[in-house]
Amino acid sequence: MGVYVHIPFCAQKCNYCDFHSVVVGDEERFSSVADNYLLSLRQEALYYRKIWGQEPLDTLFIGGGTPSLLPPDKLAAFILFLREELPFVKHPEISMEANPQSLTAEGAKILKDAGVNRVSLGVQAFQDDLLLAIGRIHRSEEVGGSVLALREAGITNINLDLIFGLPGQTNEDWVKTLEAALELEPTHLSCYGLILEEGTPLTTWVNAGLVEVPGDDQQAVMYETTCRMLKAAGFEHYEISNFCLPGFRSQHNLLYWHNRSFIGLGSGATGYIQRLRYRNAADVDGFMETWNEGIPYYEESATVSIEQEMDETMMVGMRLLQGVEEEWFRNRYQVSYWELYRGAIEELLQRDLVEYKEGWLRVTPTGLLLENQVSSAFLR
Amino acid sequence: MVQKNIRNFCIIAHIDHGKSTLADRILEYTGTVSKREMAEQMLDSMDLERERGITIKLKAVRLTYRAQDGEEYILNLIDTPGHVDFSYEVSRSLAACEGALLVIDASQGIEAQTLANLYLALDHDLEIIPVINKIDLPNADPVRVIKELEDSIGIPGDEAVLVSARTGQGIEDILEHIVARIPAPKGDIEAPTRAMIFDSHYDQYRGAVAYARVVDGTIKVGDIIQMMSSGRKFEVSDLGVLRPNLVRVESLGPGDVGCLIASMKDVRDTRVGDTVTIASRPATEPLAGYRPAKPMVYCGLYPVVNEEYTALRDALDKLQLNDAALTYEAESSVALGFGYRCGFLGLLHLEIVQERLEREFDLNLITTAPSVVYQVVLTNGSMMEVDNPASLPPITSIDHIKEPFVTASIMVPDEFVGAVMDVCQDRRGVFVNMEYITPERARLEYHLPLAEIIMDFFDRLKSRTKGYASLDYEFMGYRESKVVKLDILLNGSPVDALSCIVHQDKASSRGRGLAEKLKDVIPRQQFEVPIQAAIGNKIIARETVRALRKDVLAKCYGGDISRKRKLLEKQKEGKKRMKSLGSVEVPQEAFMAILKVD
Repeated sequence: MGVYVHIPFCAQKCNYCDFHSVVVGDEERFSSVADNYLLSLRQEALYYRKIWGQEPLDTLFIGGGTPSLLPPDKLAAFILFLREELPFVKHPEISMEANPQSLTAEGAKILKDAGVNRVSLGVQAFQDDLLLAIGRIHRSEEVGGSVLALREAGITNINLDLIFGLPGQTNEDWVKTLEAALELEPTHLSCYGLILEEGTPLTTWVNAGLVEVPGDDQQAVMYETTCRMLKAAGFEHYEISNFCLPGFRSQHNLLYWHNRSFIGLGSGATGYIQRLRYRNAADVDGFMETWNEGIPYYEESATVSIEQEMDETMMVGMRLLQGVEEEWFRNRYQVSYWELYRGAIEELLQRDLVEYKEGWLRVTPTGLLLENQVSSAFLR
Repeated sequence: MVQKNIRNFCIIAHIDHGKSTLADRILEYTGTVSKREMAEQMLDSMDLERERGITIKLKAVRLTYRAQDGEEYILNLIDTPGHVDFSYEVSRSLAACEGALLVIDASQGIEAQTLANLYLALDHDLEIIPVINKIDLPNADPVRVIKELEDSIGIPGDEAVLVSARTGQGIEDILEHIVARIPAPKGDIEAPTRAMIFDSHYDQYRGAVAYARVVDGTIKVGDIIQMMSSGRKFEVSDLGVLRPNLVRVESLGPGDVGCLIASMKDVRDTRVGDTVTIASRPATEPLAGYRPAKPMVYCGLYPVVNEEYTALRDALDKLQLNDAALTYEAESSVALGFGYRCGFLGLLHLEIVQERLEREFDLNLITTAPSVVYQVVLTNGSMMEVDNPASLPPITSIDHIKEPFVTASIMVPDEFVGAVMDVCQDRRGVFVNMEYITPERARLEYHLPLAEIIMDFFDRLKSRTKGYASLDYEFMGYRESKVVKLDILLNGSPVDALSCIVHQDKASSRGRGLAEKLKDVIPRQQFEVPIQAAIGNKIIARETVRALRKDVLAKCYGGDISRKRKLLEKQKEGKKRMKSLGSVEVPQEAFMAILKVD
């Protein structure tokens, strides 16, 4: 079980991104907004403390947006507050996302002292023209410095986020990006195929024919390149988009893939508590206002039936390359997935999209690239 | 009301010339409907009619009007459908009138349907009152339209009434013209009763409701009426007039227009064109000759999932209650399973039925490409009618095939005459005649195969003439034709529902075009899908839908599982709308793809 905190602030919006964030203004103004926002987060945390009860929390993930935009001391104080007030285990995994350009060794040290032990850097690519094309504000040469700063501060569990399928990106560009990433010796790599999300500037440009992005076939080639190169470099491919050195799986993300409960805090965040799935409204001002009065501001909330949860457990679980264990599922729900989904599973087996071995149902190499068809088969 | 104070009239117009708006204004002006209750375009009550801007089912409304002569008149406005598919219904409603308002758009002028409707009206000896509408528009040119009237139809220009249905200008003029010029009915109140049914609809509480015009005699509540075409008898339980809501009356006399409720269980008991008489003293001669509407276009309707077969039948049953022109019978297809072969008056009729089935009955349907009815003369000399390409007999047993032809009338500005000729030539048209209505506007007459008309002909014509061409056509007869069956194979297996009958000279280009089109509409699947077009055993075209390489969501959206679920469900929903043929998922539009092939 864990906690997700959303920090919806960015220095600039990247043109492919549809995550909730607002562009911050001048430093002084941002400083007061940040203070208020962190205050509201504290109130929200206290609200869920009562509902959550005593179940131990193993992970904390601070995502965004750009969490590293917050002054490190303020963020550190907030992390300590959460660890104090919520039932965290003694040594939780505490991850945060950071932009390569907004990290200093001193800042990292402060965060490390508050318990941050894993940092995910939004690197995306190692070619400045590609970074420029997607609206990133950092330059590729800054990445090495950030990694050094983190190590200096004692944070050695480092993930790099990379994207393939960027406008104008070739397979060679992508190979170079992977090589440069490996050279920095991260413990974890997330390699995402670009998704053209509705409403983003990039999508508008692509639809208008102003920008060209590699198609699905090219993305498939890049993906296969990724799997091959990272495997050769000793990385374990454990989830569709995620690779790590042995022992360095993201515990927090595993929580999602196991469809576990988590507290979501912040404007636009989602959470899942006692089978209530909620999504906070993506509205920073509204978030702060409502927490002044101590009440949640949901855009959507619904109780998930046990049947629906089982479907979703299969839907997300099949993203893991190890698959879903029959015994694990049966212990959790007192029913075998064979009983629930026999027809669907048999069709997937017949299409060679999944295999069933030694009690585990998992995607095949073919199924990996067509994973949507696997996951959706479990939605009744 | 005595007959001398009754006027029965209808409004005829080319589509979009403002017929419905004009009807609305007349209703409003005579106080039949107040402005407040006036939903936009009162007479078009079905959603579909409003969306498409056409009137599908005609209705009759009774208006009262105190004319300038001080007397009060009953004006029965009988609405008519404006589309060529429904010309039989148009002609029945014309038969219920003594006069017609011929509405012409002041900026568009006379169009093909204006003329077609006018000729129909003249056939019924109706008094014509030309109404030039939309005179408030900046590009209105009533002087030119008046000249067109005089030149092409020979109607004196000073008989035209200038109006704007939008602003209400000229409405009173129209009403005075109706009273002054349209003759009163001249029925014989003493003669055996005769009333003509010009429309009917099914009401779930009252059963079939017939709209009728009484010509001679009287119908009273309690009378036993008899349908002259079938001899069936019913007791009249209610009589009413529409104002526009139903108002009960005790009797309908000569000249009256109203509705008739007599525990008739469906509209097949109230055939449009039939004559109603009184069983105790029946008339000997029916009114105008009744003929059932004959379907001209057939297609297969199949549920995407077989479980909906019964629901489809129930829905067709219900629609037919209201639409006697719709025919259907069970058929089956190797590819699509069990479904229905349905007959329609034309393409628009087909589209309306299909849309209503999907919208009102929530059915997920596959519609196969429409086909005309071919007459196949076999080597043994016998003749069979074939409305489904899949049931064409083997080529060796066919002596020759005849296909239906229509006489098409196309009106177009002078500069597009060449383009129209091109399109008609390309569609195997035979030139018959060309005349100039005015120096700038020509009317072309062609004989065309109906099969070509239903292949997107009008859209093609419109796009080649910048939207100026107007079209009207009527069935002329069967002609021998060199047609062949074009088959489509997916993954090596023939798909009967994709077969079509095409002219021999066009077979290879249509085959190539269809294979290309199918390649575009069939989504990529796990394995590559070869598409072949074949005539007999000869493959004439081949395309391949390449295998799907990637279908995966990279991100997990920060634990936002409901978002992921929604994305996958949407994808799954799209799949549900496809038909599985063997291992190939085929979307609905694939079955209509032939229509989009040139």
